[in-house]
Amino acid sequence: MSPRPRDDPAAGAPRWPLSEVLEAMVDQGLEEAEVYVKRGRSRRLETTLHTESSGFHHERGWAVRAGGPRASFFLAGTGDPSPEGPWPAPDGRPLRLPDPVSATSWQEPADFDAPLTGEREGFQLLAAIARELDTELPGTRLLHALLEDGSSESEVRSQRGIHAHWKSRVAALRLTATVPASKLRRTASRRGLGSDRHREPVQATLVLAEREARRFHPQAVARRLADRLVVRAGPPPEIERDRGEVLLAPAVVRRLLGALTPLLVGPRAASRVGRFHDRRGHIGGDLLTLVDDGGLDGGLLTAPVDGEGMPSREVVLVEAGVFRQPLVAWNQVRGLEAVASGCARRASWRDLPVPGPTHLYLAAGSTPVAGLLAEVARGYYFLETTGAPRMDFDGDAFQVPVAGFAVGRGRAAEPVSGVVLQGAVSSLLRNLHGAGRDLTYAPEEAGLLGTPSLLVSGLEVRCARPAGD
Amino acid sequence: MPFADLDRAAVARTLTQLVQRPEDFADAYFERLEEVELPPDGEPPGLRVRRQQGFAVRLVREGRTWLASRDDLEPRSFAQALHQVARVLPTAAYPEPRLEVARWPEVPAEPDLLELPSRLQRAIRQRHVAFPLRLTLRRHARDLQVVGTGPAPEPQRERFYSLTAELGWTRWGTLLTELGPPTVERVADSLVELFRARHASPPDTGETTVVLGPAATAVLLHEAVAHALEADVLAQGGDPDAAVGVGMGPEALSVLDDPEAAPVGVRRTSDDEGVPVTRRWLLRQGTVAQPLADSLWAGGSDALSPGAARRAHRHAVPGPRSIHLELPPGETAEDDLISGAGDGMYAAEARAGRLDPLTGAFHLELPFGRRIRGGSLADPIGPFQMSGTVADLLARITAVGAESRPGGAGWCAKGGQKLAVWATTPALCIEGVRIEPVGGTP
Repeated sequence: MSPRPRDDPAAGAPRWPLSEVLEAMVDQGLEEAEVYVKRGRSRRLETTLHTESSGFHHERGWAVRAGGPRASFFLAGTGDPSPEGPWPAPDGRPLRLPDPVSATSWQEPADFDAPLTGEREGFQLLAAIARELDTELPGTRLLHALLEDGSSESEVRSQRGIHAHWKSRVAALRLTATVPASKLRRTASRRGLGSDRHREPVQATLVLAEREARRFHPQAVARRLADRLVVRAGPPPEIERDRGEVLLAPAVVRRLLGALTPLLVGPRAASRVGRFHDRRGHIGGDLLTLVDDGGLDGGLLTAPVDGEGMPSREVVLVEAGVFRQPLVAWNQVRGLEAVASGCARRASWRDLPVPGPTHLYLAAGSTPVAGLLAEVARGYYFLETTGAPRMDFDGDAFQVPVAGFAVGRGRAAEPVSGVVLQGAVSSLLRNLHGAGRDLTYAPEEAGLLGTPSLLVSGLEVRCARPAGD
Repeated sequence: MPFADLDRAAVARTLTQLVQRPEDFADAYFERLEEVELPPDGEPPGLRVRRQQGFAVRLVREGRTWLASRDDLEPRSFAQALHQVARVLPTAAYPEPRLEVARWPEVPAEPDLLELPSRLQRAIRQRHVAFPLRLTLRRHARDLQVVGTGPAPEPQRERFYSLTAELGWTRWGTLLTELGPPTVERVADSLVELFRARHASPPDTGETTVVLGPAATAVLLHEAVAHALEADVLAQGGDPDAAVGVGMGPEALSVLDDPEAAPVGVRRTSDDEGVPVTRRWLLRQGTVAQPLADSLWAGGSDALSPGAARRAHRHAVPGPRSIHLELPPGETAEDDLISGAGDGMYAAEARAGRLDPLTGAFHLELPFGRRIRGGSLADPIGPFQMSGTVADLLARITAVGAESRPGGAGWCAKGGQKLAVWATTPALCIEGVRIEPVGGTP
């Protein structure tokens, strides 16, 4: 498909009766009105130990926001919107919609129009992952595998003159595997890793996303899942509390970044982050650079506009440890020293646009992960979180349950789980000694987040349960 | 009834084209969903209405399922979906069936919904407390019609409400089947209890006697009994049939799933596959009697019966899940359970539960509670959780309350499908259960 200039965001849009719906709103005396439509197709392939299902789904929905200074409504429905309604009566809350803003250039990725995975191809991928997993970690069973591959196109038009059309293409893979303790003990013994204390079956889940399902490589996926199973089987360390350098894999940094978003997103972020400024006015170390970019080149959810038709753009939130501005949408920017960006996402056609991270990433460094690991004289390499992080910004404290390896002289020694990584939020932001070049993105609750591996000091590792418990 | 004029016979005829083997199973699922949401005060836009309708066509063969779904009710789409799930295309196809459904009615004014926030605030004030409260209230309506290759069941209808309260320090939610004055009083009681416990310390880690109120018991049974006895969950550990006859709890404990006895508004006569529901004993005198199963799992089994299939929407494959759990009442009044608990804990509500089907490990999170001192309710306590294995927890049940209360057991999310679940349960006393604090400052 040929690149489409961003200043013609509605080029190629299908014919939906959006103007007619807007006219119907005017006829009802509503000053503000916006129509959003979305069409999508998706393939969903799922296997369990005993069942297999193949789904092919067509989604077609729309949403209208309309109102004025005194009252408004939101109506969403399946099919195509009809000017005849029926429309709900506006309720006593005002509504204001954005004015159009000129866009910068953006090129639609060529693979947006790639065909969806076929049924046989998709099941072959899942079967190959199961085979590779058994090779990596004999005895492992893939309890559940789900592959979703979908594409969609959306259009938004408002009475204020916004008109945009864009496409999206995402494939997601979710795998849950288990391995009996006896098999793990054998593997651990072969690898010289000490996980002989584990008695119960271990279970781990891996979630990945790519533009196309064809980009999932069975062997690489199986290795990541096998690593998770191995580290989850690790015992807690012998000592109750420990310190040392800690290497955090992208998956761990991503969960932490997700939990840190209240410091970065929304009109109150600037006041929340204020308490973390040091004497130089920095909130973090030189390696801390955080950027949000809805139109990120190659980004999984890259789009020229957000769910309201506002242009997406790159916004530097933190630059070399200096807080520049929070991530804010057009209606949150008043009174702030900040530039608004198109960052209002619609989770589906049923949902209202909500400001939040689009592609929020921590800038990568240039060191390979092996190089970062080699720098750890004594410490830990945590590969994944085993629970949700908890942040206390007022108390400058955080904790997150993690699993990984104990590290000695730059080498992973034995698996460690049942531990909590904890410390001051300010230490986490400041004591960054290295950033890997392995920047990877994955969807989190907060949005699509990208993070590299990070080498951090000044944090504490403690057993999740007191000794003897 | 939106599907009253649907030509069920014509749909059934077209589905016969999919069935090629005796064990094949094909159906069409039509649904209409409406959600009317009243957002927190001051949040634009005002009333939020979400209306969706569509269908799914499905073929099940030897443990494999093919499903095609659409967000419309058009004959052409139906014919396309049929072709997508067909393994062999018929040589002479039936004509596309007419899919006549009622037009969407006007959006009702919803006075009950609009007035609830002020009624609730008034009820809270009458308890001489005040605190910031952001309420989101939703009315949910679901109409569905399943058509298979045999006689079609009657259309099913569900109507209920969900309420979420954001307090300054926590969130709280509940499911309701009506918004009458007693319901408002009950919600106010819960919110005030939560408010009074906001600064209370959680109990220390240890073992104690816990009395669960009916609402907390509902969540416990849903997580520890119903989920554990779903055929697909049982299959993760082995053969689901083998669970029948296994002892899982004390003799005093019997639990059943009875969708026809659910609260008015959410009663069902058939499940989401159109199979008639039954009064299904999950546990009878502590022994597994009849696990929850759908047509897929019951198909190749001598021990499992279908009738417990649920699906969150047309794009999802159905799976075994409970609709309405019942715990037959015991003989001990709730007050006597408390007075018999010595120095234990009382929890009226549970926030969430987690079951690991492989290990049987179970956690039940309780957002607030009261200490029991000398057999009487005493000071509030902060959030804590009960943990152990399912078998151990159930074995420690020593008494069942005499007064059952119907209500929502909460939103159940399994396999990405979020469903409202219901229960009619009395209070329970569990002795020697392990508790530990939840939350607090990191």
